[in-house]
Amino acid sequence: MTSSIQRGNDEWLGALTSSGDLREAALADLRVILVGGLRRGLAAWVEAGSPQLEALAEETSQEALIRILDRLDTFEGRSRFTTWAYKVAFRIALTDLRRKQWQNVSLDQMLESGADEGREMAVVDPRIGPEAAVERRDMLDQITRILQEELTARQMGMMEAVVLRGIPMEAIAQKMGVERNALYKMMHDARLKLKRRLAREGLDLADVMATFEQGNASPGRVVKGEGG
Amino acid sequence: MLRFVDRLLGWLAGGRRLSFAVSPAYLSVLEREITSTQEIEYGCDDVYRLLDQFAEAVLRGEDAAPWMPLIRAHLERCPDCRAEFEALMRVLQGQES
Repeated sequence: MTSSIQRGNDEWLGALTSSGDLREAALADLRVILVGGLRRGLAAWVEAGSPQLEALAEETSQEALIRILDRLDTFEGRSRFTTWAYKVAFRIALTDLRRKQWQNVSLDQMLESGADEGREMAVVDPRIGPEAAVERRDMLDQITRILQEELTARQMGMMEAVVLRGIPMEAIAQKMGVERNALYKMMHDARLKLKRRLAREGLDLADVMATFEQGNASPGRVVKGEGG
Repeated sequence: MLRFVDRLLGWLAGGRRLSFAVSPAYLSVLEREITSTQEIEYGCDDVYRLLDQFAEAVLRGEDAAPWMPLIRAHLERCPDCRAEFEALMRVLQGQES
């Protein structure tokens, strides 16, 4: 790293908004900083030293420079300028990686639900008696009914895809043609709706889970009475 | 933005109702998701706006800003934003050492 790269925030902003050699030097320095940062930061996702990582770092740095210049007015100076610039670059690089990783998987495949897998095995557990099995089934049916009334299969599929199968929200959002932020907010609304409904029904999912884990079905511990 | 939201709402609303029965394994996931759901949560855009400040604060061992718990909660839930945070921290920690 050369001394010319060591700039304060004001110096970065001054140079990048200037013209001529000063601006060109700042852009060249920033590109070097970004390429180095991308190599280090992306090593958890792409093999360190691989041609793929080198290409990704080079391509991303170019795109990041354009975006950084375009959005300089959004830099509030509350962090180091280079930290802000890294943030911009990583958003670009990781979005690109996710897009490539999931490009051959359809939205339907992503949202395919396996929510009922293992249900019978748990309900018909040989270690518990038939009465307990009936109680377990009743609990699951009650929760299923609430889910059916409150959520669509797509909402449930998205929750399962992200949480259970680790599919990036960005990948799902891209397939749907929406922003990741909009998708997150929709899922938050769905979770809130479900949480409020469960509260109204007096159902505590942690208690339901404990019943299954202990092999001791007792609906009295689960239903806490009607809420408002 | 409104167009995106309208599209998304329409798509979600058009989904068929659930036809599956909930399994205990799925219940476990649901329980974690619902228990950790808060009335007010930061979205991905909120987190992105503050991620650089947050990463530097974490590096300094600071935890005083009122918005930091909201960011932490989002990062625990959103694998996409968490990946961006982890990449950023790798670089910043490399600079410190």
